[in-house]
Amino acid sequence: MVVLVIALALFFDFTNGFHDTANAMATPIATGAIKPKTAVALAAILNLVGAFLSTEVAKTISGGIINEGGPNGVAITPEMIFAGLMGAVLWNLFTWLLGLPSSSSHALFGGLIGAAIVGTWSFGAVNFMVVISKVLLPAILAPAIAGLVAYLCTRLAYGITRRSDPDSGDKLTQKRGGFRRGQVFSSSLVALAHGTNDAQKTMGVITLVLVASGLQTAGTGPHLWVITACAIAIAGGTYAGGWRIIRTLGSGLTDVKPAQGFAAETSTAAAILASSHLGFALSTTHVASGSVIGSGLGRKGATVRWGAIGKIGIAWLLTLPSAAIVGGLAALLIRTGTVGLVIVAILGLGAILFMFYRSQREVVDHNNAISDVDAVGEALNIPSKKEREKLAAKARAAQKVAEKAARRAAETAAVRADAQTALDRADTAVLKAMTKAAAQAEAPKDKAKIDAKKGNK
Amino acid sequence: MIDWFGFVIVAIVTLVGAVFVVTMYSLGVRLDAVSDDPEANSPGAAKFGSYVCFGFSILAVVAGIVLIVPPFYKAAMHVFGVEV
Repeated sequence: MVVLVIALALFFDFTNGFHDTANAMATPIATGAIKPKTAVALAAILNLVGAFLSTEVAKTISGGIINEGGPNGVAITPEMIFAGLMGAVLWNLFTWLLGLPSSSSHALFGGLIGAAIVGTWSFGAVNFMVVISKVLLPAILAPAIAGLVAYLCTRLAYGITRRSDPDSGDKLTQKRGGFRRGQVFSSSLVALAHGTNDAQKTMGVITLVLVASGLQTAGTGPHLWVITACAIAIAGGTYAGGWRIIRTLGSGLTDVKPAQGFAAETSTAAAILASSHLGFALSTTHVASGSVIGSGLGRKGATVRWGAIGKIGIAWLLTLPSAAIVGGLAALLIRTGTVGLVIVAILGLGAILFMFYRSQREVVDHNNAISDVDAVGEALNIPSKKEREKLAAKARAAQKVAEKAARRAAETAAVRADAQTALDRADTAVLKAMTKAAAQAEAPKDKAKIDAKKGNK
Repeated sequence: MIDWFGFVIVAIVTLVGAVFVVTMYSLGVRLDAVSDDPEANSPGAAKFGSYVCFGFSILAVVAGIVLIVPPFYKAAMHVFGVEV
């Protein structure tokens, strides 16, 4: 049983690498900084190395989230973990097939939590405090931090390298292409960081199984063979996932400029490495996406498509609960005994093979193959230089038309004013004439009266 | 309990680390461009300056990795005579 769980855990690690290869390498491949094959190999090696570097996250998983043993804890059985893993793996593959952005990490947590809750039929199985402080809060804050830092760094990078001839004001060579070479290093850093954070999770799960089945004392870190196995699994998955990417290049990637990509990746790497050190289990997908958005906003003229961001946010929020439901269902089946276990195993295997088969057949294109980070790029609308100039020209033309209209309106108003004055004058003149005429009409009458009087006399 | 201080540390470290590396690298790129100008004053100095900047950025990355990897961290502190 334990062996089965370990095998499934390693497979999850494999799918994790599969899913996340592109997060590190998408931007340098997009800007042409590195050849796709080299990028994939590099990512695989660095994930391997990264997995060995730090074990803090594994300790969080194995010791923190689920209360195992002890007077307050509940008995976590390997079967439960099996269910949880099954939930995570299925959800991972499902979203990968559909091209939905999903965090492998949240899938894992969700699956485990769901399985633990259903398996022990109590909410006490899960230490929600740890879930909130080490999973949910980082999930919100880390991308925000990375995004903010990426925004600043992009502005810095562009600002520092902006040169203009002091005399003529023309732009001199800026050689921002130098950032391309830097991108190779920064994305290597991200791959390394990914190894320190993501391989750890599987290590934590395997350690959890070992503890739960009494083969290891609670509270200790992962064994060396566990570390090695997980490192190899994630590196293998990274390498295998790369071929899918290579197949689709040339179908239009997100518009990322070298300087922007460099800033984004450096921020991502820094955030992930710092968090791994503290044992925060992060989703590299979330952090990388946050950086891409932040750095995109740092470019001139960028606007945000809030609708797309809303969609992405919702998908992120749903991952943990969804995986929890699948894990819970699997646990439910397993509760019925060994028969249930066999059913789950067979169903799971069938589902995995089915999805794999479907993936080979369907059209691999920009939308579902490259990476979730790439999909995030759709959320921003960064007009290229040509587009910016077009927009500016349009604005100027619109302004000219507005000025013309204003002028014409002013002319019309002036003409009307003149007409009004003329009318007024005419009115006054008529009035005067009428008054005069009336006066004269009065005057002869008086004169006639006086004459008449005179005549009578 | 929620480790707020941890978040603050992550924020600060991310900010300082990323900003430092990006600034150094950007300066390197800029100096590199200056040195390639046809009417540059001292192309050699600019080129040298750019390499220094690149060196700083690489140094920062290495320092970060040393800080994070426990064995490296212990070895480095040992060099400074501090037992961890």
